[in-house]
Amino acid sequence: MGKCAAATDVTRAWDLGVRLFHWLLVAAVAIALVTGLSGPRNLLNIHVAAGAAIGGLVGFRILWGLMGSTYARFSSFPVHFTAINADLAGLVAGRRPRYRGHNPLGSLMVLALLAVISLSVMTGVITLGGVDKQGPLAFVVTYVSGKAAQRLHLALAYGLLALIAGHLLGVAYEAVQARTTLPLAMITGNKAASAADHAARPAKAKPLLAALCILILTAGAAHQIVALAARPALGVPTGPLDPIYAQECGSCHIAYPPSLAPGLRWIAIMDGLSNHFGEDASLEPALASRIRAYLTMNAAEKWDTRAAHELQDSNPQDPLRLTATPFWTRMHRGIPESVFKSRAVRATGACEKCHSDASTGRFDPQDIHIPERAFQ
Amino acid sequence: VTTNRQLISIIVLACALAAAAAGESAKPVLDFYANEAKTSDPGFSGFSAERGEHLFRTNFSTGKPDTPSCTTCHTTDARKAGQTRAGKDIEPMAASANPKRYSDQAKTEKWFGRNCNNVLGRDCSAVEKGDFITFMLSQ
Repeated sequence: MGKCAAATDVTRAWDLGVRLFHWLLVAAVAIALVTGLSGPRNLLNIHVAAGAAIGGLVGFRILWGLMGSTYARFSSFPVHFTAINADLAGLVAGRRPRYRGHNPLGSLMVLALLAVISLSVMTGVITLGGVDKQGPLAFVVTYVSGKAAQRLHLALAYGLLALIAGHLLGVAYEAVQARTTLPLAMITGNKAASAADHAARPAKAKPLLAALCILILTAGAAHQIVALAARPALGVPTGPLDPIYAQECGSCHIAYPPSLAPGLRWIAIMDGLSNHFGEDASLEPALASRIRAYLTMNAAEKWDTRAAHELQDSNPQDPLRLTATPFWTRMHRGIPESVFKSRAVRATGACEKCHSDASTGRFDPQDIHIPERAFQ
Repeated sequence: VTTNRQLISIIVLACALAAAAAGESAKPVLDFYANEAKTSDPGFSGFSAERGEHLFRTNFSTGKPDTPSCTTCHTTDARKAGQTRAGKDIEPMAASANPKRYSDQAKTEKWFGRNCNNVLGRDCSAVEKGDFITFMLSQ
């Protein structure tokens, strides 16, 4: 090494906290991106766990940016105007100024990554609360807000992919242009440097203080999250179905939770019992009117679950059938026809065969289990 | 020591008792249909399991298109569970496999009312209902 660059020495750039954070974040973000963008929906638990890990890691990194060693600190990031300008000019000229820690553009990238990842975690928690009615915000976020957060969450995921691409490009540039293997430095913590490189004012890490802060913040956050998550979710039906309804309408198919159809659809269904989806399901008038009242009073309009919102849109060709709705069709796209025809499932309307929580009307992604036998 | 032969006798006896018990709990419903049959036809001479079986197995295709026969949902073996078109299990129709069958008159009437219309496209007569139950008690 010493021959071609006489002034080269080795500098301790990344302390253990930064390195651990970096690689754990890589793993957690990879899991979150894969399960979020392409995984089956019943992997939501893994996605959420990855998101929680990411939240914790980013929290740690922010803390460590205030009390870590020299180049872990945000104060060491050369993100002032003149430094950025010089770095950009150097980029154009093909000779960038050298830094022992992050260079200006690299620092900007780190900050952008941290910002986008933080926003992803936040919008993820809001989505989980509003759309899935789970997690610490389920008690307060409406479905409509959750849906908006979900769109943002997805946009941020694509933004993050773009930033990751830029980050890797930057690393590749450093390898070619400055002959610095940054990935190796992120493993060993040591970076080749010369005396002329920009150095930051040395700062001593405060691991004990950091540990104390982490302990207090983690305990506080965990306590809050558990307490908030224990609150009843907003607009989710609770309690058992009306026993008469469950008995009378649960003989041939599951007693569909009233939240799965709007009031007008229930009225139309109750008006057509003598030819109920191809069968006579007539009821004594007294029973029928009791059930009709129960259904209309607990219809989709009253609830805020995903199913209650999305299933209100009906299919004009088959307006009363739940499994003909655009939402149902979209959600079950990709499941082979043979699964529904199998002895283990038998019919598209047999929700309970795959959704173990069908009778509650929640239809949590985690509660989807297509029976093995349905694929044989 | 219980021999195989003894064990078999016990099982046969238990089955016979169960069948008798099942027949017992269906008696009021059967009597009701017998009365009704006599009222509409003074020459009524009793129900027939054979006619009941014919009713159970015939492909009528005169009712609703999705339910041409009883066996569409109940399967051809009355002692086995059937399945509705929506995928729910139906308890066996045979009294030997399901002793509660035909003990509740309102329930029996409700399902004859719906399913005769589904399969035959009309109401069943008291004789048909009695025949059907008699067949199921023999199974």
